[in-house]
Amino acid sequence: MFPPLIESRLQMVNVSFLVSCILYLVSTSAHAQSPAELSALESELNAISTRIERLQDMEEIEILQRSYGYYVDKSLWYSLTDLWTEDGTLEIGGRGVFTGADRVFEYMNVGLSPVGPTQGLLMDHQQFQTLTTINPDGVTAELRGIAFVMSSGGWGHCYYENDFVKEDGVWKMKTLHGPFNMYSGYPIGWVDNLIYNTWPTKFPPPPDLPPSVVYLTYPSYYVEPFHYPNPVTGEPMPPHDPAAGGVAFGR
Amino acid sequence: MKNTPASFLTRISSLLFASCLLHLASLQVLAQDSDAQRYSNLLIRMNAIKAETRQVEDHNAITRLGRAFAYYLDKGYFGEAANLFTDHGRLMYGNDGVYIGRDRIRELLTRHGKSSMNAGPGLPFGRLNNHMHLQPLVTIGEDGTTAKARWREWGQVGNFKDKAEWTDAILENDYIKEDGVWKIAEMRLFLNFIADYQGGWAALEPQGRNWKTEVGREFRADERSPVRYKPFPEIYVPEFHYENDISAIQTPPPIEFTPRRPDDALGKLEARADAEALKLARVHAVRAVENLQAMYGYYFDKGLWSQAADLFTEDGTWEFGQMGVYQGPESIARGMSVLGPEGLEEGQLNNFPMLQAVIHVDENNERAWGRFRSDVMRTVEGKGQWGGGLYENEYVNDNGTWKITKQHYWVTYWGDYDKGWMRDGIIPVEQMSEAIPPDAPPTVVYESLPNTYVVPFHYNHPVTGEPHDDMGRLARDKAAGKNVR
Repeated sequence: MFPPLIESRLQMVNVSFLVSCILYLVSTSAHAQSPAELSALESELNAISTRIERLQDMEEIEILQRSYGYYVDKSLWYSLTDLWTEDGTLEIGGRGVFTGADRVFEYMNVGLSPVGPTQGLLMDHQQFQTLTTINPDGVTAELRGIAFVMSSGGWGHCYYENDFVKEDGVWKMKTLHGPFNMYSGYPIGWVDNLIYNTWPTKFPPPPDLPPSVVYLTYPSYYVEPFHYPNPVTGEPMPPHDPAAGGVAFGR
Repeated sequence: MKNTPASFLTRISSLLFASCLLHLASLQVLAQDSDAQRYSNLLIRMNAIKAETRQVEDHNAITRLGRAFAYYLDKGYFGEAANLFTDHGRLMYGNDGVYIGRDRIRELLTRHGKSSMNAGPGLPFGRLNNHMHLQPLVTIGEDGTTAKARWREWGQVGNFKDKAEWTDAILENDYIKEDGVWKIAEMRLFLNFIADYQGGWAALEPQGRNWKTEVGREFRADERSPVRYKPFPEIYVPEFHYENDISAIQTPPPIEFTPRRPDDALGKLEARADAEALKLARVHAVRAVENLQAMYGYYFDKGLWSQAADLFTEDGTWEFGQMGVYQGPESIARGMSVLGPEGLEEGQLNNFPMLQAVIHVDENNERAWGRFRSDVMRTVEGKGQWGGGLYENEYVNDNGTWKITKQHYWVTYWGDYDKGWMRDGIIPVEQMSEAIPPDAPPTVVYESLPNTYVVPFHYNHPVTGEPHDDMGRLARDKAAGKNVR
């Protein structure tokens, strides 16, 4: 029919064409239509969806904590209170524990200032270093942070170890725990004239519960426990040296 | 006819070809691509989504590492801080040199913390060792096992009844992922100054090229520093790791439309992948915008006006205090030069940290809005100043690279360093420059401290979803006779 050379070439073309047709049919039938593979893909999508949601959670909690700071700056106590769950708590410095959103509002409005910025007054509460952990349940989270305060009273450095909870898809403040680290006036800074902490009767209103921990701030030593293990070793936080905060430390 | 292998193959092939065509034709009814093509495209997309998810997770892991490090320094957990390094981890401490390995790093940090190697974690009585690591600008390497980040370290340190000091440094860190765990491979700390509280940074004397810290003189480094520089009041600009790699401000481009997927099993998965990819891109964009604002800040710090202005779109605007609005990169760079010459002059400090980011990205991953703040350390005509203010900015995703369309810095206050920001230390907000006038007057006229005001929020309340209306609610509560003030 054909000269041998051409025939053998046709044969090669045919073989490769045959192979690609078979491959095509095999690939479409075996790949697109296999329910097992589709369901594997769906599981992968579910897993990735959860991971993306965790990333969203982290950003939403950062927004919550940082908005808290912007609200304190200008005494926006309604907006601030709305960050809390109904039964959430607040504990700042040594003032004790305030329970429930209404008491959070009272703490701020009765104890600190009227709603809205006050002329001539600075009370910037800058939110630094948010270190957030979303727990495996996906509906609770913890955050360590700093409020670096520049106010009419001078300097302040305060930690947070806060808890958050996701209610109906919305993250809220469950526990704000803000131990003081250092508060000083402006003229000579933190060399002297420090506030060593507040206490329940420092200013009204009184707390619902006494302080959860009693400690003194700088120049004494207090470390608020880290809620997370060392990110590299995975080991929990070791206890501090019992002599920390004393002059015998390291001697 | 002879039944040759060739003709047999030809016939089989023809049959197969016909069935392939039929198969394809039947698919055409449902979609342009074949199922096989769709399936394999989806697998490729899934891999891209996984890689991008990993990238954002890695970004968060790097910022976690940096923040954990700083928290350890604060409270004298120097061993824990050193444990964040690799076995042969390196710490370059300014001109002092490079300290290698965790033991040496632990001792270096302990000595700088005026603490003791003969004790467990903690600090002695009267030691303040606050080291805040701020303004991360994170770049994840393409291989996913290396990363780089720039940080600002702001130190508030001292000893009770003896000394109070401010410290200022830039960090350029290298990270490596070992067995799935990110570690610090090298930290390069470019100390800019250690200033006594009295007099602050404006009172610092020039140093020679051989300056060393007290600790560096007593505790000799393992290697010389690869760089030699003079600290403030000289102007020194530490390397930018992102000079030739701007992936830190890149994400997928905006989504122009959501494709309509066929109503079959595969189509449902495709639609889900579309949704996840968009959700991820918007989460990623938050980090890219945070990086972009940090990048702007690091250039602005050093008076690198042209580089800062290059981060804007062609019609982008820059508004600073009451100086008015400058539009377009050239005009913006001119406007910034009201604050000092390009590259600053000797003795000029212009630290504008970019802090407390609240970023929202629109539904299409096309635009973003960011609220930030700066606590400013600067000098004006040789005098130290403190400042504070907020930004409400806008950004646009320009085909995958984020740019600034609006940068608006609202001044809360300026205060003289020696007198503080109370009473007679207050400095009024700057007005429009006559020498270098803006393209438009201020969009909002206000006064800074002692006047106070609330910078409007670009976002609704994160829990209630309602606009911020504290003053309206106060008025209503008062009218209702509630006991509020």
